[in-house]
Amino acid sequence: MREQQIPQENQKPVVIIGAGHSGVAVAAGLRTRGWQGRILLLDAEKETPYERPPLSKELLKAGAPDESTPLRKEKFFQDKGIERLAGLTVESIDRPGKAVLLSDGGRHGYHRLVIATGSRARALSVPGANLPGVLALRTRDDALELKRVLVPGAQVAIIGAGYIGLEVAAAAAARGCKVTVLEFQDRVMSRVTSAPVSRFFENVHGQKGVRFVFGAAVTAIEGTDRAEHVVTADGARFPADVVLAGIGVIPNQEIAEAAGLHCKDGIFVDDDGRTSDPEIYATGDVTHFTSRIDGQSQRLECIQNAMSQADSVAAHITGQPTSDPEIPWFWTVQHGVRLQTAGVRHPDDDVIVRGTPSEGKFSVVYLRNGRLSAVDTVGGLSDFRPAKKLIARAAEIDPSLAAEPSISLTDAALQPSL
Amino acid sequence: MSNNKVTVVDREGATHDLEWEPDQSLMEALRDNDLPVLASCGGTASCATCHVFLEKEVFETLGERSEDELELLVEAEGYQECGSRLSCQVDFSQNLDGVTVTLAPEG
Repeated sequence: MREQQIPQENQKPVVIIGAGHSGVAVAAGLRTRGWQGRILLLDAEKETPYERPPLSKELLKAGAPDESTPLRKEKFFQDKGIERLAGLTVESIDRPGKAVLLSDGGRHGYHRLVIATGSRARALSVPGANLPGVLALRTRDDALELKRVLVPGAQVAIIGAGYIGLEVAAAAAARGCKVTVLEFQDRVMSRVTSAPVSRFFENVHGQKGVRFVFGAAVTAIEGTDRAEHVVTADGARFPADVVLAGIGVIPNQEIAEAAGLHCKDGIFVDDDGRTSDPEIYATGDVTHFTSRIDGQSQRLECIQNAMSQADSVAAHITGQPTSDPEIPWFWTVQHGVRLQTAGVRHPDDDVIVRGTPSEGKFSVVYLRNGRLSAVDTVGGLSDFRPAKKLIARAAEIDPSLAAEPSISLTDAALQPSL
Repeated sequence: MSNNKVTVVDREGATHDLEWEPDQSLMEALRDNDLPVLASCGGTASCATCHVFLEKEVFETLGERSEDELELLVEAEGYQECGSRLSCQVDFSQNLDGVTVTLAPEG
């Protein structure tokens, strides 16, 4: 029955570059939405596509198997007729010829192309950054390499106190390493959260023996055959057997740029995930877009966005309506304590602490012009779902009610006028 | 171990019979059989988009819900004290052969 309703154009191939969360979600979503045409998933890595969040958490634990959780079972790809070409990269996009050219010399025509190339870890650009022992964490191979060197007693210097740096700091401390985190700003996770949350997590890490150095500008890695010291601008030298750089990511936009697609800190896409070429889509970490929620021009590095954009792309390719935008959300787990955030805070938002951080469970509410813009939940998730709903309707919040944890967040919101 | 048979009632009330394989969580069985379960966190009890209702007798055979799971569920649409689960937290067990699972409303 269904086949008769599929328009002729659906017989044509969709080529997806990249098999991370977003690329796989596009492939699966196309099938769920009834796409009958060929689906070609081009994967730079050889093994079955896998979950990335555990790479900096569960995978690094002592005794944890060296296996990453697959996004879908290998059999799923076969069952769904998703052809996965693994271990090769796309050299270029031939837009006039509507084809991609692969590193193995192959050429594949597309009806629609989806770029889901993700992002890569920003590399340190100081002398000595290429020494053995200087690592980054992005792929399963990176994680396994890191895991091998996080041995008890190892001196681990982590550059950057963002999610990745802190998750690795927690894993390393739990494995008996001596951990020093070097951060240029004056607190941890300064890009993504407010001072009360930063201070709370600094404490959590401090209690586990992690040492922080703030205002640290790394100028060099020193060592003869491998990394031995990290040097900062003030001349301090920190001994290190292992150096992990967690200093952000760079969108893998080069092939899109070379093909003349509109890019700047990501590939520009519209609400449907379309690039400046209407036959080419992009999705996930590699995209730059205008938020349908607050009009912000942004690139988001999170699973939620990868999944949400993938859904929009699959919907648009199959000619179906896209879902309402989802409030972006993020999570990290450090020393078993979860920080989960709904919405994207701005540094100048008003900050309301809800609960008592010393009790290990609290939230921080962010208001922009009196309206809820984001909520951090620490050590609990009670406020998370109400927060997403209230942010979606830009609810006005009574600050004194929001500061009182016994009152639900929903009850701290002024009722929308009818 | 052989597959479990599961009957799923979707959000429109239609029923679907599917095979739940031993190496899948319930969420994975739903998702991989094209049911509309977003599972945007990949099964880490973070997002609550895989919320389902189980029959009370079945629910009671399962272990306690974690604090994270419970906090997400309590705020979820249609929460049932003796029925709501995040399907990503329900592991395969042969006791669950033949169960009926109802997808909770979104939101």
